[in-house]
Amino acid sequence: MTGPATTRNKATGGKDYGYGNARIRGMKSRLLDEAFMEGLIAAPDMNSLIQNLADTEYGPDLDEALIHGRTAASIDEALKNNLVRTYRKVQGFLNDEAGYIVSMLLGRWDIFNIKTVLRGKHMHLLAEEIAEGLLPAGALSRVDLDALTMLPDVKAVVDTAATWGLAYAPAMRGGYVAYMQSGELADLELALDRYYAQTAFAALTGRSANVRIARDILGMQIDTMNLVMVFRLQKADVESIKVDEFYLDGGRSISSDLYRELAHMSDVDEVLDRLKGTPYGLTLDQAVLKYLEENTISVFERALEDYHMRKALAVGRGDPLGIGVSIAYLWAKQNEITNLRIIVKGKSVGMPIDRVRGELILV
Amino acid sequence: MIKNRLAKWVFGSTVVAAWLVPAIAFAQESGAAEVSADWQTSAAKAGAAGMAMGLSALGAGYAQAKIGSAGAGTLAERPEVSIWIITLQALPEIIVLLGFVSAIMINGS
Repeated sequence: MTGPATTRNKATGGKDYGYGNARIRGMKSRLLDEAFMEGLIAAPDMNSLIQNLADTEYGPDLDEALIHGRTAASIDEALKNNLVRTYRKVQGFLNDEAGYIVSMLLGRWDIFNIKTVLRGKHMHLLAEEIAEGLLPAGALSRVDLDALTMLPDVKAVVDTAATWGLAYAPAMRGGYVAYMQSGELADLELALDRYYAQTAFAALTGRSANVRIARDILGMQIDTMNLVMVFRLQKADVESIKVDEFYLDGGRSISSDLYRELAHMSDVDEVLDRLKGTPYGLTLDQAVLKYLEENTISVFERALEDYHMRKALAVGRGDPLGIGVSIAYLWAKQNEITNLRIIVKGKSVGMPIDRVRGELILV
Repeated sequence: MIKNRLAKWVFGSTVVAAWLVPAIAFAQESGAAEVSADWQTSAAKAGAAGMAMGLSALGAGYAQAKIGSAGAGTLAERPEVSIWIITLQALPEIIVLLGFVSAIMINGS
């Protein structure tokens, strides 16, 4: 193993979006519609669900994964493989500019995977258990991630990242020192998040409309992470925590001052009231009722993720020869896979249809 | 990248030559002897007809390049729409035809 394989094989040069966007529109026409999803939800059993899915573009992935049995886990694996294959395919034919922007935005999957491996190692999980939670949609391939899951502990993961020369290895090393001192994995995860937010934002420079769209999407991602942290801090004793340490730079609407103000507020109502003037105010307000019913801040996390998804899908309706088409498709595909995984999981545990329907995102 | 640079160089040279050669010829002719009004009119018509034809061809070529690129992308994912792509690919030819007709009309007037 010499290091992670590069994601991009070949791309059309320059800034010609015609070819790539036309292909993406073709692929977008094969995304599953609401009626099909309803059919899957209403499927009487797992076999008929598999039968329905086998007639779509998930067929080849299902054929491959179902060799290991017609179980929910196999279908889940097929869906994840399809997402990874699709992302790789898109990155393979995008032009230079679009490929660069997309690779920056998909860098979050590398962070997600590394964090999953670190959590697994911290919790002393088996390699197979960690591998179930991975989704190699970024630059790190399945082989690279499998190699990381085989390592004995957190230190070995950090060292291997440095040996491979991964860009975020220095950040991991810094975070590892803090992790060793506190014993809290959050320190290491925070170092990775901070690294991603800083580098991706710094890399997306320029005044072109495409870069601005990507910066907006990235800014929303960072805002979401900051707001989720604010809601989590509501449950913690903020006096004993340096809240500033958890703030990530590069957000679109949540400045460090606003973040500090929100983090020190006494309850969720106050936070929601203060956020009314921001783009997230309405979305969070609409989630209040559910929050009161369930009394968990994951309701707000979900609302923010939905908002982010809606905005990402909306950029596809802009310039037909711009980066928005690619971004919207990648997010729509992720949304579809997430919904399918929810349906499969719901079907496997016998979840009521209404509950499954409620769990779906933006169908 | 090299191919692009070469293409730009060839294209640039062609355009420059297309403008410079007649200009030099004109300069030599006008400097050599007295030019009749008929000859000047014919030359202007020929130049205008050439421009009408040449520029419309360039326009059509540019449009076809863009449509071809997007069409190739579409065909890669949806081969069933090939008829539509061929139709769209052929549409800019009308621009050249219009240029051709304009050139004939200019020359014949």
